[in-house]
Amino acid sequence: MSVRESVENKDIALIDILDVILDKGVAIKADLVISIAGVDLVYLDLRVLIASVESLVQAQQNNSKTVSSEQFDMQKEALCDATGQPVER
Amino acid sequence: MNDLIYLYGLIPETEANAQSIGELKDFGGKGGLRLVPIQDTAAIVCTLDGNEYSEELIKDKTSNDMEWLQEKAFHHHETVLALAKQFTVIPLKFCTLYKSEESLISSIEPNAEKLTKTFESIAGMEEWNLKIYCDDKALKKQFSDSNPALAEKMLEISKLPKGKQFFEKRKIDKWIDGEIEKEKDQVSEGIHEKLCGHARSGHVKKTWGKDATGRNDPMTWNSVYLVDKSGVDAFLNRIEELQKEMETDGWQLEASGPWPAYHFSSIS
Repeated sequence: MSVRESVENKDIALIDILDVILDKGVAIKADLVISIAGVDLVYLDLRVLIASVESLVQAQQNNSKTVSSEQFDMQKEALCDATGQPVER
Repeated sequence: MNDLIYLYGLIPETEANAQSIGELKDFGGKGGLRLVPIQDTAAIVCTLDGNEYSEELIKDKTSNDMEWLQEKAFHHHETVLALAKQFTVIPLKFCTLYKSEESLISSIEPNAEKLTKTFESIAGMEEWNLKIYCDDKALKKQFSDSNPALAEKMLEISKLPKGKQFFEKRKIDKWIDGEIEKEKDQVSEGIHEKLCGHARSGHVKKTWGKDATGRNDPMTWNSVYLVDKSGVDAFLNRIEELQKEMETDGWQLEASGPWPAYHFSSIS
């Protein structure tokens, strides 16, 4: 397979598509142009979309993780270790 | 309710006369697409049944129904992409709608000259996207390894009292981060320049945050290129070569395409 074919056959993510069809498609004065609350959304609110896709994938894999305070404490400790900051206990 | 006209893209009339647009499905998935000739241009459109689609409904769906948005965004993309394989296409924004054919025609007509120029500039061309990612950890390690003075300084710091150590370390870390950002920009710009040599033109885009990419390695570069069809193999081979040279250092070069000429079709 040529390099071209292998690149061409790769799946394109929704965010890549939205990034161009909402932002870069040519705008010719139309009666209606539906924007999803403007262009910046691609960089901001699409997180919501991505998050919803991710949670979907996680649910499918049946390994959805919730952030627990235990986990948080562990991460905090690790961070403190790494930075050499004194740990409050 | 009145029907709406959905405009996907514009193609030169000469190309529209030379071959048919084929069997592409419309927005609702039931009918097909048709051409509306407007001077030297042909608009590729479909009709949205006014009983099924209204401005309010589409607005509501795009904001609240992600599944719908995903399906329709893919539909728009795939349709324009399929057209771009056959024709020189000026791609329109998602959900560009007109209330009537007359309204469509009167919006396009005043742009005739600009459209002709744009067709000329994108004919025989393809758009390709490059995203560059870089593993900061790998880069940091490399940076430390190639800076013996840094190891010395770290040793010095380790002999300081604990409180002072912390602040000195933080200073050094900040400095390293700054140097690494500079290095990433420089390397990415170098790649961009090399690829511009294979392209008619190049354009640098905003990079995305980790929230958008869902990856651990940050995106350091995002750019698009307008490449002559005959030069695409050379363009992609160059990316692959660079990737092979750089991957051990933590770099990932990811090309995608071909895209319709979204970034090179501005008519404003």
